[in-house]
Amino acid sequence: MVQTRKVLTGNEAVARGFYEVGGLLASSYPGSPTVELLEAVKEYKEIYAEFSVNEKVALEVAIGSSFYGARSMVSMKHVGVNVAMDPLMTFTQTPMNGGFLLVTGDDPGMASSQNEQDNRLIGKFANMGIFYPGSSQEAKDFVKAALPLSEEYGMPMMLDITSRVCHGRGVVEEGEREVHKPKGFTPDNTKYTMLPPITHARQYAMKERLEALAEYAYDAPFNLYEEVEGAKVLLIATGLVYQNLLELQLPYSIYRPGMVYPLSSRRLLELREQYDRIIVIEEMMPFMENELKLLGITCEGKEWFSFTGELHTEDIEEGLFKAGLLTEKRTPEMEKTSVVSRPPMFCSGCPHRPVFDILKKMKVTVMGDIGCYSMSVLPAFEASHTMISMGATVGITKGMNKVMRMEGDEKPLVSVIGDGTFFHSGMTGFANLLHQVDEKDNMTFIVLENGTTAMTGGQHNGSSGKYDVADDLHMDIQKILNTMGIDNVQYVDQFDYKLFRDTLKAEVKKTGISVIIATRPCALKFKIKEPHYYVDPKICIGCRSCVKTNCPPIRMKNYEGIEGLKSSIDPSMCVGCSVCSQVCPVGAIKPSKIKEA
Amino acid sequence: MENKNIIIAGVGGQGLVLATRIISEAAFAQGLDVKTNDVVGLSQRGGTVWGSIKMGEKVHSPNILPKGADIILGMEPLEALRWSHGLKDGGLIILNTNRVYPTPVLLEKDTYPEEAIEKLKETYEVIEIDAQEEAKASGNIKAANTILLGLVSKYLDIEESVWHDVLKRFVPKKAVEENLVAFKRGKDYERK
Repeated sequence: MVQTRKVLTGNEAVARGFYEVGGLLASSYPGSPTVELLEAVKEYKEIYAEFSVNEKVALEVAIGSSFYGARSMVSMKHVGVNVAMDPLMTFTQTPMNGGFLLVTGDDPGMASSQNEQDNRLIGKFANMGIFYPGSSQEAKDFVKAALPLSEEYGMPMMLDITSRVCHGRGVVEEGEREVHKPKGFTPDNTKYTMLPPITHARQYAMKERLEALAEYAYDAPFNLYEEVEGAKVLLIATGLVYQNLLELQLPYSIYRPGMVYPLSSRRLLELREQYDRIIVIEEMMPFMENELKLLGITCEGKEWFSFTGELHTEDIEEGLFKAGLLTEKRTPEMEKTSVVSRPPMFCSGCPHRPVFDILKKMKVTVMGDIGCYSMSVLPAFEASHTMISMGATVGITKGMNKVMRMEGDEKPLVSVIGDGTFFHSGMTGFANLLHQVDEKDNMTFIVLENGTTAMTGGQHNGSSGKYDVADDLHMDIQKILNTMGIDNVQYVDQFDYKLFRDTLKAEVKKTGISVIIATRPCALKFKIKEPHYYVDPKICIGCRSCVKTNCPPIRMKNYEGIEGLKSSIDPSMCVGCSVCSQVCPVGAIKPSKIKEA
Repeated sequence: MENKNIIIAGVGGQGLVLATRIISEAAFAQGLDVKTNDVVGLSQRGGTVWGSIKMGEKVHSPNILPKGADIILGMEPLEALRWSHGLKDGGLIILNTNRVYPTPVLLEKDTYPEEAIEKLKETYEVIEIDAQEEAKASGNIKAANTILLGLVSKYLDIEESVWHDVLKRFVPKKAVEENLVAFKRGKDYERK
């Protein structure tokens, strides 16, 4: 058997594990930190892989595949699982014809997420086995362990992988692909139709499979027990926390369950007899700690470690020091360097820029949503005022509009939503808009159709075919909305700044439902290659209208022989979108091509 | 052998992921164990991003302890400054002098910390290099990160032929020669 070693990210290692274990179908919806996972799966031609339109659909695609007996995997970021909860909670009652794995990318410390939910709780709630890798090698090994176990125990599996493990590289031993032929689908109501009273029997079956898996966990190869002779303290840690703990090289025994649910009660009750103290070290919720406590095992945990954020080696050391297990701290105290922040910003030539510059100047109330345009909540724009979850803006706008009108508040409401978010879950909000319309309603929706899922790195979406002929989805948002019965829908080019502004102002003044689809594609994915613009400092009056559009190349600077600060454009960064020249009140910003001519 | 720890700091869109990958692949090809944090930060452009690479006989966590880094590869001066607390006293900073101004500076709400960046030289060994200019001079403006890799390679126990093999595998095929030239230029760079 050929074995090679490679350096892989956690995401790539999961893909590799799925390939080696004979996986046949993988689906996903892009979201940090698991975006690259499906992209890595796509490298294996033996596997059908797709980014689905949202997480719920992605899960359903994987359910269908599993029902046929194929080993199936669906991946998403932690909050994506919320979108998929409805099918998940019922599907997980079924007995798994083909091995099923849900990969959830958790984000302790919220490097790139809107909340910090610990999806181990969802895994338990949904009656799934939960694996928790801490390195690329573990990620691959756990995927290979989980799918056969899923079939053997009739148990849906979760791989809960944190952002650092997804995006970190490590050496991985590769193996060959095992062939796993699907058994096919044979109709059987007791397995695939979750209706009462079938579901009554399934409750017992779920309890039994969980107990059987917990028994298997006693000496399962992925649950490590490292005994230090004579030690009276046992530390329990898993995932990256376990790797961080190893850095301290402590004289205590360690139990590292690769599968954090179900834990082996037999093993833990045995360990209790051997140790004076058991300390659980885990990020976010006290999940394993609570599992131990349910077994009646006295242990410590969150009293020494933070309930939020990551637990680095120095945090573990600090906690164990407070717990009296260390007499001194070896890692030096460190004061973080305090310097000016660098928030992310819209790219040079980003089509969102003129839209939010206009909205900011209009001083209207704007319901935001999730995508690159979420950055409009930050300075320099501060032009959208709510942000909750994918597609939420449409319903939120309707609800606020209704009570505003009831209260006699006639101010207009604007809502922004990207095209990816529109297809993900915005459409249902639009379908709900015409129900109980009132003549006083005044809602203006801006659909930012940039042809891609930009925030996660440019994956395709329902309207990508407009710009990319190779893409098979080319849905026309105007036609969709017209078909729903929303008549006032128009496409407007936002790089014609004045046209877009005047159109928006006119629509905001009108009552009823207006939709403007902003047509420019993502500047990162579909590059603009126009001559760069430059500032004529002799004309510039230093008003900063251009600076306030917050484009990376634009800043104020001193010119020799000219008094006061004047605007400037770094030609190496400018792509020539022309928006700054359109907001300049004195015509000081010009395209370089004309200059040369 | 002690592990060698590198912090890589820059701005979203500067190519940190590929640079991290190339260094880790080179370490691995040299026969070392290696772990990385490819990138921490929002996946959108223009924001603070940073990562780490640890190489040695055996690496457990990819995270670097406070004051535990041997080298900061600063793709942008302010970002090198931001993570300087992670560096050992007397540690090495490779400082790409090409400045990228953050939003608070562009909006004149804050100033770019020129003095604090200059003061790094008091505590650390700082090698300043304008990687973009060097890349242009070497014949390919896009090879700025390869210039930096060439420079950092002087401080790592990885053979030159290993770097060449890895570069050949990971840079675009048509740009291999240009990147090898850029790598050599970075390696031969003499402090000004």
